[in-house]
Amino acid sequence: MEPADEALCARVARRDEAAFELLVSRYQERAYRLAWSILRNAEDARDVSQEAFIRLYETAGSFQGRSKFSTWFYRILVNLCLDHKRKHKWWKLWVRDDDEERSETILDRQPAPANDPVDKLSREETLKALGSAVDRLAPRQRAAVLLRVQEDMATYDIARVLKCSEATVRVHLHRALATLKKTVEKR
Amino acid sequence: MARHPDDDLVPYLRGELPPAERERVARHLEECPDCKEDTEVLRDLLGNLSHAIGQPPTVNWARYRAELREKLDARRERIVWWRRPMPLTLSASLAGVVLLVAVWGSRQISPNGEPIGPDEVVMGQELGLLQDLRTVERLDLLEDFEVLRNLDGLAAEHQG
Repeated sequence: MEPADEALCARVARRDEAAFELLVSRYQERAYRLAWSILRNAEDARDVSQEAFIRLYETAGSFQGRSKFSTWFYRILVNLCLDHKRKHKWWKLWVRDDDEERSETILDRQPAPANDPVDKLSREETLKALGSAVDRLAPRQRAAVLLRVQEDMATYDIARVLKCSEATVRVHLHRALATLKKTVEKR
Repeated sequence: MARHPDDDLVPYLRGELPPAERERVARHLEECPDCKEDTEVLRDLLGNLSHAIGQPPTVNWARYRAELREKLDARRERIVWWRRPMPLTLSASLAGVVLLVAVWGSRQISPNGEPIGPDEVVMGQELGLLQDLRTVERLDLLEDFEVLRNLDGLAAEHQG
């Protein structure tokens, strides 16, 4: 039977390198994908997600098991992403170096082709507009949406990751989705 | 009609609400066509979002882990360097230097007992004035040097 994340974290606190490797293997893809979804830059996402693993290694002893390991780790990761965005905000105003490949690959990610090409085109354009609208959301709203949609996290867990109340998460989600809804309705 | 349960719609769709709240929202949706429509739109929106957000560029995970290992090792080396106990000889030398500076600093007192400020010490060292403190103390006597030199000139003219 595979050891639980929480047990592995306890072993990492005792500097068990094998346990650390196993946790990295389990979470590397999710961590990188979430970081990329927030930062929209592959290199930044790689750096920030790796930094999250280093923090995990350094602070594993402070994990007390009051929440799930994933919630605790995502809190580290999301905080690093939000800090990164805050620090680089002024720079992004001048140079937009976000990945461009998203707009190129969006067609490849779609479900099986629809029968009506016009419908298909319209859907692709709507999804593209929706993706751009997600990018423009306020950072915490965006984080709440991504944790809900990509990580399928419950409101309770999102609240623990963002260190706020469940009511606040509900407001973040409601406002974010209201904004996104307007984007879809405009089209 | 009760207030629209806007903030509760997403948790409702995910089935997170406690039974009483869920019942309240369900009842509201039966009575409020606007909220019912909103709920359907939200359901579609949440379904489409995962496609809209997309997937990041692919990563070579072996290389990712190797980079992570390098970064972790570098971080640990930095920590070890800071925490490494200083060799005894280096510690003793440093302590000696600190002691010397302290003693030397305490001796930088003027003859009349007033402490000399660090800026005065630096300026004095640059000008070499402290080497001849007695002369410096009598500088006020030399203020009339210009007058004396002029007097000499006047005397020469007078003799001429």
